[in-house]
Amino acid sequence: MSLMPFAPSRPLSIGVELELQLLGCNDYNLAPSAPEILRRVAKRTHPGEIKPEMTRSMIEINTSVQQDYAGLVTELRALRDVVSDAGRFLNVAVAGGGTHPFQHWSEQKISDAPRFHYLSELYGYLAKQFTIFGQHVHLGCPGPDEALHLMHMLSRYIPHFIALSASSPFVQGHDTGFASARLNSVFSFPLSGRAPFVLRWNDFEKFFAKMAGTGVVESMKDFYWDIRPKPEFGTLEVRVCDTPLTVEIAAAIACYIQAMSRYIMVEQRTAPEEDDYLVYTFNRFQACRFGLEGVFIDPRTHQQRSIREDIMEMLEHISDHARELRAGEAMERIREILIVGNGTSWQRRAYANEHNLADVMQLQAELWMGN
Amino acid sequence: MTWSDYLPAWPLQISPALWLALTLVVAVLLGEALVRHLRLPRIVGYIGIGAILGPGGLGFIPQLPVDEWRLVVDLALGILLFELGSKVNLRWLKANPWLAGTSLLEAIATFGAVFSVLVWLDVTSTAAAVVATIAIATSPAIIVRTVTESRAQGQVTDRLLLMTALNTIYAVIFHKLAIAVMHGQAGTSFVHTIFPPLYLLGGSALLAWLFGITFERIHHHLGQHEETFSFILFGMIAFATIMASTLRLSPILVLLAAGLITRYQRKHTRTFPPHFGSAGAVLVVLMFIANGLAADLRGLRDGSLLVLLLIVVRIIAKLLAVLPLATHSGIGWRQAISLGIALVPMSSVALLLTLDTAIDFPEFAFGLGMVLMSWIVILELAGPILVQVALRRAGETPEKKT
Repeated sequence: MSLMPFAPSRPLSIGVELELQLLGCNDYNLAPSAPEILRRVAKRTHPGEIKPEMTRSMIEINTSVQQDYAGLVTELRALRDVVSDAGRFLNVAVAGGGTHPFQHWSEQKISDAPRFHYLSELYGYLAKQFTIFGQHVHLGCPGPDEALHLMHMLSRYIPHFIALSASSPFVQGHDTGFASARLNSVFSFPLSGRAPFVLRWNDFEKFFAKMAGTGVVESMKDFYWDIRPKPEFGTLEVRVCDTPLTVEIAAAIACYIQAMSRYIMVEQRTAPEEDDYLVYTFNRFQACRFGLEGVFIDPRTHQQRSIREDIMEMLEHISDHARELRAGEAMERIREILIVGNGTSWQRRAYANEHNLADVMQLQAELWMGN
Repeated sequence: MTWSDYLPAWPLQISPALWLALTLVVAVLLGEALVRHLRLPRIVGYIGIGAILGPGGLGFIPQLPVDEWRLVVDLALGILLFELGSKVNLRWLKANPWLAGTSLLEAIATFGAVFSVLVWLDVTSTAAAVVATIAIATSPAIIVRTVTESRAQGQVTDRLLLMTALNTIYAVIFHKLAIAVMHGQAGTSFVHTIFPPLYLLGGSALLAWLFGITFERIHHHLGQHEETFSFILFGMIAFATIMASTLRLSPILVLLAAGLITRYQRKHTRTFPPHFGSAGAVLVVLMFIANGLAADLRGLRDGSLLVLLLIVVRIIAKLLAVLPLATHSGIGWRQAISLGIALVPMSSVALLLTLDTAIDFPEFAFGLGMVLMSWIVILELAGPILVQVALRRAGETPEKKT
């Protein structure tokens, strides 16, 4: 099975996928209510798509292709409202956040679709442990080679995206100490990590053909990379973010990635190097573990600073591009995260006040649903 | 000093409490066996062992003093009713008005069906109305216990809890009204016909509201220590139950409403251990054994066909009544059928209402009362199994490893 040709897409167009948690309104544990929610939203007209996910206590909302923050946030709000209304109708709360703080993986129920059953067979308990909630950002690319270039350049800034979106400190009833514990679950999949250092699409096709030849993979879906090309959409897909606690933050992070990509493509014409990846796993670990306070090592200058400082500097570099993309409000929101903290700090503060993870989840759902 | 000073006198004077303690052990063992080998709910074992060993069965355990038993039953039922109330989100009715419609339809259909059958069989309309109101109630005890035990979760479970709470309220209120009408026919003056239901409703609501406020206050001061809070709650439930009986209000209504009010007012989620700790859990088990001991199947001797007819009619009424609005309210046919089946159990609430009627009208105890008692016993034993099967078929119990 060979790789699809890289479809054309409008450069720098964006689309967002968010995986959401469905909760029972009594104990705020995960509730297997996806079939009812999906049946309910099917009766309403809404932009984008609302889809089932691996287990029955999660659903995914997808936006259509958008150009800027205003369009993106409008559509995300519309999707959020449709899902929240369905939730209220069914006594189900909907929330963001990368993990559920006290769900038990063995109690999760696999969704009724062939692909999910197949994955559940293959991965066993990992599939149920995969009850985690991420944000995926799609980015339109002018062509396949440009997509690979952008992928390797963006890889350096993966820690930014992790730290800004981090909202999963609690797992199985405990504070893990991580800002994003969700990514630890992703790393246990055999094909997670990063894409090989290949800069030409025909080389990438060769790599894929070799992998497919070994029988390890069948499609791009089998790679759980942090960033991967999605040839059928003609996009690059950034997959490291936790689902943030509000749609506004989700939209802001997508636009931050968009503005940074414009900066990389237009202004920063340096070529990616394989040695950029020497610090990759270290930086990524720091972001997962410590969030904005994590250490960031620049692969070229070997300079060390906090991820927060690096984002601050990046915001300076990309401000013109952000203006060009009408992402001023999005950059304000990013700046705000640097000051007040990410989802993880919000969750830890909530827990310090309430001493009860169910209460944290209730507040988190209220924040998401906007009531 | 002689032998008799320190050795027990022969034959031994065994108090009924000893048999009871032994019954508790046997009942719990039987419950475990049912779960392990037949995958049946434990309470079937508790009720079953009571029924088999009790006065109605083999007679190993003699008739127990009613007052003490009544306290255990009242307390345990109070715990279960409060638990039910605190699991039901009344705001849901506003967001999804079809649920209120379904609930009313289900209650009216049940009442109508049972009432029609009895009137058709030449029962007086007031007596038929009394029985029909009792038939409205789904057993809160069986529902709460089975849902807790099966760890069920989902739309059918949520709806089952909501509809059980609502139909229990309807049953208690309309039963009181029917009794008032019965008194009216017996020649009681108008004032004494109309006042009792008003007193019951107003008084119970007031007591429940006071409970709710106190609960919120104490919780506010005490904070989140779950276990301590369970102890206090346990005491409050006992207090409210006894207070309600003392004031001749309905403990059923008071505890259920108290649960609903605390859930409605609360700002924070609260999770309590099931039945508020092990003391509560033991009381609940004892209550089911007591229900078994009280099992009285004499009504089957003359009226087995009538009992069977009433059971079938009630099941059909409940099942058909939840179907028409199902898709509007957001569930599918399969789920609606599960919900209808799960609404079938009858137990403590029906039993207490029957006993209350019999106190006011002794002749009722020997006629329809006997029929009701048999009806309850059958649905008490079959009910937990029906609920478990329904919830399993609806896919709301945890998946078993295969």
